[in-house]
Amino acid sequence: MKPEVGTILGLSVQKLALGITQEGAAFAQGTVGLLATVLGLAAKEYERGADIRYSENREIRELFAELAPAVGDAQLRAELVHTAAKKDPSLRISDLNSANYELRDLLTRLLIDAEEHGALPAQKRIWAVLKALAERRLVQLGP
Amino acid sequence: MNELQDKLASYLRTKLAAPDLIVVDLARIPGGASRETYRFRARYTNRGKSVDRGLILRRDPPASLIETERSTEYRAYGAFHKLGLPVPEPIALELGNAALERPFFIMAEVENCTTGGIMSPEPYGEHRQSVGRQFYTVLGRIASADPDEIGLGDFDGAKNVRDAARHEVARWEKVIDEDEREPQPIVRAALRWLKRNPPPAAQKISVVHGDYRTGNFLVDDNGEIRAILDWEMSHLGDPLEDLAWAIDPLWAGADPARPGGMLPRAEAIRIWEEASSLKADPAALHWWEIFASLKGAAIWISAAREYDEGRNIDPINAFSGWYCLSFHNRVLAERLAAEFGA
Repeated sequence: MKPEVGTILGLSVQKLALGITQEGAAFAQGTVGLLATVLGLAAKEYERGADIRYSENREIRELFAELAPAVGDAQLRAELVHTAAKKDPSLRISDLNSANYELRDLLTRLLIDAEEHGALPAQKRIWAVLKALAERRLVQLGP
Repeated sequence: MNELQDKLASYLRTKLAAPDLIVVDLARIPGGASRETYRFRARYTNRGKSVDRGLILRRDPPASLIETERSTEYRAYGAFHKLGLPVPEPIALELGNAALERPFFIMAEVENCTTGGIMSPEPYGEHRQSVGRQFYTVLGRIASADPDEIGLGDFDGAKNVRDAARHEVARWEKVIDEDEREPQPIVRAALRWLKRNPPPAAQKISVVHGDYRTGNFLVDDNGEIRAILDWEMSHLGDPLEDLAWAIDPLWAGADPARPGGMLPRAEAIRIWEEASSLKADPAALHWWEIFASLKGAAIWISAAREYDEGRNIDPINAFSGWYCLSFHNRVLAERLAAEFGA
């Protein structure tokens, strides 16, 4: 999820260090309110970020393992099988992201393959996973 | 701020032929993420009478959320102000950098009003019905206007009713291609779905406001809409594009049944149809609603990139990249999953 928590913390500090009052009180008040909201969201993301990525990576790998046997394209099928067998190297966000980007790219290729071949059950299964991923990634406002 | 105030006064003395003009109370205000917005008062003498006028300055920022044609917003204000819609009177447009370092325009301030917040559970309180009726009536009037007759026939966008959908998908796909910083399987799938399932041809080509929603208009204490703002993304296209954007779930606040915190969806559509003399074909509107969420996702992807690369560290860009993008990703996933019974 861009920007990452570290970027938000760093740029929020930069925003404050540069001074936010020179534009006047009304604008500064709005900026402070937004900074507070964004930092609050960053705190939540710090807590759940690794879990979201770990869970997402696991679910996409399971999906690949499930759907790979029915894929006609031999190269794509081999990539799906190979990727499904991988493990996340660590729980660092950067490692989880690297794996996640690779998985999401391959997921797009898998969905395109299903679309091109009119494989409706596969599309339905992929969309169920995409819906679950989007629900998990949804940023919640409030406490 | 003092330097800007001095330069602004100097510019307006010439522009308004008012050698005694002074600028006071210049203050930056929130609003319009792609341009800096300032409120100020101009005091001067005109034909022997003292004038004390509230004005708004909209200046290009060093980096913009969405690159828009600078004169577009100004010309849209002018055209719809003349048509009698609640739109601020445009005063001056400068496309060069000489006066205030960056291009800008100035318009009349519509005073003693507020905007409704999209996060507010009741952005218009007791006036929600009345505000909603005005909101969709004004949108219908924008849709019914003939772009050529109001002088906006050369705006960017589709010139042909069959091209409107394709034109907009291509426009926002380009934005996503340029600004995507991480794989977006849902957004990419939405783009493919939109291309595979084009809507019926537009009923007409209209001026599309491009960002017609809760938060982008001013309401007074009596619940009267006084000004439709933020025309910077206006273009020519299918009028259903604006209707779909206006009823997008992101603007619904706490109640998805009342888009924008105003009227129930069916009533909103009926009022728009009456005011525009157009039909909101359900299949066409469904396509444009999915497009609206895709367009939103594209804007938030751009915002995240601006922030991530340090070009514009306004926290609204971080918020957009997180909350708004995750919201529209979920809307797209739910709507497209439903197409496949998932």
